[in-house]
Amino acid sequence: MRLRITSLIILGSTLLFSACREAKIESYRVAKEVAPATDPAADMANTAVPTADGHDLTWAAPDSWEVKASSSMRRGSYTINGSDGAIADMSITAFPGDVGGDLANVNRWRGQIQLPQIDAATLAQTSTQIAGQDLMLTMVEMANPNMPDPQGILAALVNFEGSTWFFKLQGPDKLVGAEKNNFIALLKTVKGHNH
Amino acid sequence: MNEIWKAFVDFFTSLKLTITLLALSIILIFWATLAQVQLGIWGVQEQFFHTFFVLNKIPGTDIPVPVFPGGYFIGGLLLINLVAAHIHRLKFTWAKTGIQLTHLGLILLLVGEMLTSVWQDEYQMRLDEGQTKNYSESYRENELAIIDTTDANFDDVVAIPDTRLVPGKEIQHPKLPFRVVIRDFYPNAALQMLDQVPSTPASIATQDIGARIKTIPLPLTYKPNERNLAAAYIELIGPQGSLGTWLVSTQLIKTQTLEVGDRTYSLGLRFSRHYKPYSIQLLDFTHDVYAGTDIPKNFSSRINLTTPDGVEDREILIYMNHPLRHDGLTFYQAGFDNNDRTSILQVVRNPSWMLPYISCTLMGIGLLVQFLISLFRFSKRRRVQA
Repeated sequence: MRLRITSLIILGSTLLFSACREAKIESYRVAKEVAPATDPAADMANTAVPTADGHDLTWAAPDSWEVKASSSMRRGSYTINGSDGAIADMSITAFPGDVGGDLANVNRWRGQIQLPQIDAATLAQTSTQIAGQDLMLTMVEMANPNMPDPQGILAALVNFEGSTWFFKLQGPDKLVGAEKNNFIALLKTVKGHNH
Repeated sequence: MNEIWKAFVDFFTSLKLTITLLALSIILIFWATLAQVQLGIWGVQEQFFHTFFVLNKIPGTDIPVPVFPGGYFIGGLLLINLVAAHIHRLKFTWAKTGIQLTHLGLILLLVGEMLTSVWQDEYQMRLDEGQTKNYSESYRENELAIIDTTDANFDDVVAIPDTRLVPGKEIQHPKLPFRVVIRDFYPNAALQMLDQVPSTPASIATQDIGARIKTIPLPLTYKPNERNLAAAYIELIGPQGSLGTWLVSTQLIKTQTLEVGDRTYSLGLRFSRHYKPYSIQLLDFTHDVYAGTDIPKNFSSRINLTTPDGVEDREILIYMNHPLRHDGLTFYQAGFDNNDRTSILQVVRNPSWMLPYISCTLMGIGLLVQFLISLFRFSKRRRVQA
């Protein structure tokens, strides 16, 4: 009897204290803020996306490639200037997960230069494995000479610590072809474990 | 009635209760120490200590059930036990002064910790050199800010805490001419442009950049150097129907606006802000290293503190172990960023910060006094025997 009464009283009082209260909506007036100067093209903040604790890939780019400022979407960005004024763009990006898988991404790039889709068997036959410093990258090459301004893409994919990294060089077909050796040289310097 | 009262008193003053609670607290602390590996310090404080019960979900469901008493339960009951036993058995004698002081110190320590857990608030203030701010931001809480920016001189803000952003719920506020319907909410998410991700269905957002973004939910991170970046899809419904669906996220810094009638609103999810009646401008941040090394010697922020009425307008140097104490808040030099061009101040409100010092002093004095009393009586007895 004694134990029951005391335990009931304790339980009752603790339940009273545990009752949840909904957070309040605040409304107030503030002076107009001077907005910090933002690059209008930067729609996303340069906030560190998860993988910010040193688990990144590193690479060494050819000296002839001009470094462009990277955004939060691009881990690395380069411009390649061709002899006749042609310009190619090299982007290095990383996304969490497998982002649809290799075949889906390759077909997406093929679609960007108006090439027909391929199947997994064709991809297996036409892709090359390139050895980086401590990981293997899958490289693909594609070009569409039938476009008014023939375009080519050299791309590589690798999975690293739960993210998928893309290395993509896109531009006029001739320039991309000329830079193939430089592209492969960069892939060979890709290193995963830096701690 | 007397019997009930006696039962009450016997229970709360019993030594068995003290021993049981101490044993439970050992188990709780051990369990929390192991859990800290996964949860981090904040997760453990919230789930084990700043709660009455440790809750676990029933496997396969989302229903939380209490599985073990939490910090508030054990600490609270220990406090009641200590105070009740003191009152019930209090016989003031000089011989027991030391023990009374020690127990008083212990009571004060428990009370202080309870007050700190209830009252303490921690925020941060990121300032670029030259920037002035009159608000600090929460580390872990976000708010949906819907701001009426029509007037040229001021903004009317409606700030909805992220705990209210429950998918399916509707929020109405007298200052807003529309209902806010939460279509989805992710406590941590990564954003990608839709055209970079193959075979993705269209975004549920219909307005602004949200329509071109795919949101990928991520598990919550408890690591101290990572932040959870929340995102939400909100639909605004006015009297004439839906005005559209927007994606808001702490990662989107570009303002998203909409016009309703003759008023302009901006939408955004941001870290919860706490505005102050004064402004702080970062004049200069310096980061000294020991000569010839990379080892940091000193971080300091030279700031200017001003109030709108002009009463305060002074320069202050904040550096390690020399925080600024102002208006019940303490500003510590916490970190820096952006190649030494941004200073990060930690802003803490802890009204009960003195209590642990007072209680430790009391306990120390109490033990010393009790020891001296015993020593004196012992040596007196020895002298009498001799």
